[in-house]
Amino acid sequence: MKPDKVVVTGIGMVTPLGATAKESSRAWQEGRFAGRKPVAEFTGTALEDVGVAILPDLKAPERLGGRRMLKYMSDAAVLGCLAGREALQDADAKARFVPDRMGLYAGTGLAAASINEVRKMVEESIDEAGEFSCRLLGERGLAASNPLLSFKILANMPPCLISIMEGIKGPNLIFTPWEGQTGAAFLEAWKAVACGEVDCALAGASDSAAHPATFLYLWQAGLLKEGEYPASGSAYLVLEGLETARKDGRPIYAAVEDIRVIPWNRGISDPLSERVGRTFAAAPAILLGLACMDGGEEVSICGVDQQRFEVELRETE
Amino acid sequence: MRRVVITGFGVVSPVGTGQEAFWDSLSRGSSGIATITHFDASTFEVQLAAEVKGMLELPEPVAIVAREDPKVGFAYAACAEALSDAGVTALDHRVLLHVGTSLESFDLKKVICEGKADFEAVARKILKGGGPPLQIPLDTATRLIIEQLGRPGQALTNCSACAAGVQAIGHGFQAIRSGQFETAVAGGFDSMINPLGVGGFQLLGALTTDNQRGARACRPFDSERRGTVLGEGAAIFVLETWERARAEGKEILAEVCGYASTLDAYSLSAPDPEGDGASRTMAAALRDAGLSSLDVAHINAHGTGTQLNDEVEAKAIRRVFADNWEKIPVSATKSMTGHLIAAAGAIEVGACLLPFIRGVLPPNPSLERVGQGCELNHVREPGTSFDGEYVVTNSFGFGGQNVSLVLRRYYG
Repeated sequence: MKPDKVVVTGIGMVTPLGATAKESSRAWQEGRFAGRKPVAEFTGTALEDVGVAILPDLKAPERLGGRRMLKYMSDAAVLGCLAGREALQDADAKARFVPDRMGLYAGTGLAAASINEVRKMVEESIDEAGEFSCRLLGERGLAASNPLLSFKILANMPPCLISIMEGIKGPNLIFTPWEGQTGAAFLEAWKAVACGEVDCALAGASDSAAHPATFLYLWQAGLLKEGEYPASGSAYLVLEGLETARKDGRPIYAAVEDIRVIPWNRGISDPLSERVGRTFAAAPAILLGLACMDGGEEVSICGVDQQRFEVELRETE
Repeated sequence: MRRVVITGFGVVSPVGTGQEAFWDSLSRGSSGIATITHFDASTFEVQLAAEVKGMLELPEPVAIVAREDPKVGFAYAACAEALSDAGVTALDHRVLLHVGTSLESFDLKKVICEGKADFEAVARKILKGGGPPLQIPLDTATRLIIEQLGRPGQALTNCSACAAGVQAIGHGFQAIRSGQFETAVAGGFDSMINPLGVGGFQLLGALTTDNQRGARACRPFDSERRGTVLGEGAAIFVLETWERARAEGKEILAEVCGYASTLDAYSLSAPDPEGDGASRTMAAALRDAGLSSLDVAHINAHGTGTQLNDEVEAKAIRRVFADNWEKIPVSATKSMTGHLIAAAGAIEVGACLLPFIRGVLPPNPSLERVGQGCELNHVREPGTSFDGEYVVTNSFGFGGQNVSLVLRRYYG
């Protein structure tokens, strides 16, 4: 089979700059910065002044069709489902492609359950000496915990929720937890479309780096440089063959000429860090989405996992 | 397209560490399932697990992390054995490293400060420079393997739950077949035998509470199956081009000739009751290998011992292999190893090598009476001989990710 040229026909995005791709792109083009807020849990500490990026009102229940599924979702899953749905709608993908021939290639960030989800369980498991007791966990702690906790902390759940909500049934890969892994997801999606393994690929990532527990880890691990702050966000893109997009008369954001993920040990660089915040796993997806909407020609980001993600884009005629 | 072969296999498992010990146990039908010793589970409804026994020899930087997160040590030890087995001295730019795992290690003690579950107090303590990291990211083993064994051309950490290990191997196979890489080091590692892991799965109702059954508590396809048993360990493989392996005179353990992944798009925790995803995956893997269902001589089932999985998987197997399912022997090794979650599929690829290397099939020794809807040609007894050519192994993940891999006996 002759490799097909791969184009981007759908973009969904949730960032501190906007609740949708259009809002985020407009704010990016206008040179706006993410708003920041302090994290209540860090009041009176060195992290109080750093703060995290503020997300806009997402209207998640309205956009995702009710609250039933939301109870299974972590913050990252909500963001991913919003961005994934927007991208698929933008490309009208569900009406045009057979579910089996739609692939899902994703990156996910560090696990981040709300501390409140485990607080009751842990409190019930503290013995008279103030120590954690496995015996008490078995006797009382588990009964006091949220049985849905596992759904919120398993790293594959955000993309799997997208597949369930949107009916994507084809080939898939999910990588974690840093920028280079999301880059690899895009590389695999691009190859899968180009070689005809799938007719359409939804590729992207979500990350809830602004979650207090994640923020604390990022600070401890020295992954936030002076002046940097964590942000949560997500972006998903629909990739398909140029011929299909033309045949269906779909608007095309950009043609993806090349994608590379290469070893890189010369430091981290995230072009979004100053204005959007550090979104880690989600950053390559957001950056690529913004570039596609802005007529950009090159995307490059170097991640915590010492891999450099590079994309060459071109406008289609 | 290039032919892809397995030239190295390393394993840390509840039934033995090292490939020979692992195959010895599976040949005999020995179970690694017993009462949990890693922590005091005496008040848990679930008191059984398949734990890795004994100490591993690890370099100090790995050993330090492994004390807190054992799966990291499992991954390193299996990787080191696989590389040694394949005669690979170091990872370099021609190599893809792709390993799968599932859940970050999280010690509940870490959120306790001065006798309270107080995150703010824990945070203040950490921010003053005290306290261990709250999280151990899932790529920690990947990072340590690179630090100790060399930098590959690409390093991937897959988090596709129970499908992760085989997904990593399948992707490695594709990457070599397409010419992207010369060698892939791929597999899975996991351990959830800790209070939060066992407790979390207990809450989901996925684990058997049939504690009195002991070593035979995990009962895939049995009428009295009550749930799965958690296991732990790692299995890593070295995949190379057939041309290179042959040119270098390496022992070839098997050929990888087909792979597919699909999504159920049905439910987070339950398989599609019609087995649609499982059927599509097996059929797609056979197409990828250029085979018909009539070519397959053995199936390693995902076979978790849960009510839903086993019936659905059996239905899917009967559908895909409609003309010959009664003749194809089906193994279910979780009966002995427990469910290693992200490492499960990888360790079962290792189990699929057993019939090629030793000419016997891994059994399902817990199976006494086949459950309704679970009718297949089950391998019950140890020592069942096998000289077939093609084997299919299945892994179906939490969240609806499905993978199947097709292996071929290497005839030289």
